[in-house]
Amino acid sequence: MIKIDRVTKMYGQTVAVRNVSFEVEKGEILGFLGPNGAGKTTMMRIITGFFPPTDGDTFVEGHSVLTEPLEVKKRIGYVPENPSMYTDMRVYEYLRFIGAVKGVPRSKVKESVEKTVEQCALEKVTKRRIGELSKGFRQRVALGQALVNDPPVLVLDEPTSGLDPKQIHEIRGLIKSMAGERTIILSTHILPEVSMTCSKVVIINEGQILAVDSTENIGRNLAQSHQIEMVVEGPPDRIVDRLTQIEGIKRVDNRGSTYIVDLEKEKDLRALIAKKIVENGFGLLEMKSRSMSLEDVFLRLVTEEEGGNS
Amino acid sequence: MRNIAEIYKRELRFYFSTPVAYSVMFIFAAIFGFLFYRNLTYYSNLSYQLMQNPYYAQRIDLIMGVFSPVFSSNSIILLMMIPPISMRLFAEEKKSGTIELLFTYPIKDFQIVIGKWLSAVTVIFCMLVLTLPAPFMAFGFAKNAEWGPVLAGYLGLFLMCLSFLSLGLLISALSENQIVSISVSYGALLGFWFLGWAVDPNSGKMIGKVLGELSIIGHMTNLIKGIIDTKDIVYYVLFIFTTVFLTLRVLESKRWRG
Repeated sequence: MIKIDRVTKMYGQTVAVRNVSFEVEKGEILGFLGPNGAGKTTMMRIITGFFPPTDGDTFVEGHSVLTEPLEVKKRIGYVPENPSMYTDMRVYEYLRFIGAVKGVPRSKVKESVEKTVEQCALEKVTKRRIGELSKGFRQRVALGQALVNDPPVLVLDEPTSGLDPKQIHEIRGLIKSMAGERTIILSTHILPEVSMTCSKVVIINEGQILAVDSTENIGRNLAQSHQIEMVVEGPPDRIVDRLTQIEGIKRVDNRGSTYIVDLEKEKDLRALIAKKIVENGFGLLEMKSRSMSLEDVFLRLVTEEEGGNS
Repeated sequence: MRNIAEIYKRELRFYFSTPVAYSVMFIFAAIFGFLFYRNLTYYSNLSYQLMQNPYYAQRIDLIMGVFSPVFSSNSIILLMMIPPISMRLFAEEKKSGTIELLFTYPIKDFQIVIGKWLSAVTVIFCMLVLTLPAPFMAFGFAKNAEWGPVLAGYLGLFLMCLSFLSLGLLISALSENQIVSISVSYGALLGFWFLGWAVDPNSGKMIGKVLGELSIIGHMTNLIKGIIDTKDIVYYVLFIFTTVFLTLRVLESKRWRG
């Protein structure tokens, strides 16, 4: 459906995105995850044809953004971060204008605008000027202009930024309701958003892709190790020393009487560890296994990357 | 075609749903009216005196006496009135960020440029149409009205305005600040005006002739006298075509640079 093929984008001498490739299947919701300044918006602007990549190409339904930009643009609805619309126009008039510009047949413009108004719950504000609307309504109008020509692909740049919790909930609901029929790429730096709405994740930092996987797999596969968190009573030096002797334990972190133990993949050593601790006469107060959340994975990937560069 | 029409309609609606078009049109109509009134009353007084002399009496001429000087002074007024119309065309979209969505719609750049350009052309057309009562009133007093030279003068004013507009459009595409856009437009337009004075065209030097021919206002002097010379028309058409074409190139290169 969407194919990103070795895309690089330079702003002068600065590299914004470097050699990025990934694919999105029909009906998937892809979460584009990265810290601010990672190159998310640049990627979205390339996919939507706002500007061309310096190198590489992107395809939507087999149409190249470089050679057939109009075909690509017809198939994409784009909601930029902080979408700017013509504030002097009224909502209905604006959607009609966008529908016409996006090539909705003359006879169907009215129908598709009305459908969009209903879909985005804009009935109350159709006659208001966009400049007078609240942030939440404005976001919905922005979503409306993306949907008005019923495109198979939606590209949403931080669709929930700056909204209140209720509005965030509504927008997420709207996005989820479109899953399956539309292919959606959404960027965010809010991690729960990805696990809540997306089926696939691309993690990007400093213009490079760190990981591409399904939301369920990403935590499992990327976590280099499983972790156990324990609270143990006893002299820390000796406890760390004893623990590291156990085969299958990679690393032991000690903060006060709390110990974080990194285990090798796919091994459950909890019983063995508990036995060792008790045998050595330490007091085992608490033990729980920690699976890495998306946040851990993200932080680990991003910080590792930074560590590697310096 | 439909895209051009849609962009055109939106831009035109902007001009007429905000005070932009009205204020420019009103101010211009008022100044034009004043200059016309002054010239007409002056010339009518003068013509009484001229009537005493049979030699001069034959030479009383509304075109040379009234319209040509009125059009000539108004070319400077128009130089001031067009940049406020043209400055926003791209600068505003870039500043407010609406250009981001516009560039992701399935529209070609030239359709955007032509649509915007035509909307401003319409405003200018309305501006000039508003001054038409002037020649009607003047000819109301004249026995044998000669419309040809007046229309040639209007054609000259219109073409000159379109040149101002096209240069303003280009500058608007280069800047995202409307103040910069309008200041640079004034600078550039005045520059093109002064080109005609840079070197005395009668000095016989080649450079003087070349620079004189490049002056936007210089090409109007024949038209406002009622003389339609292909050279002047070609100059304006080429000037408009070149600046609009450069606008397209600027938009394209800005995209590539990000």
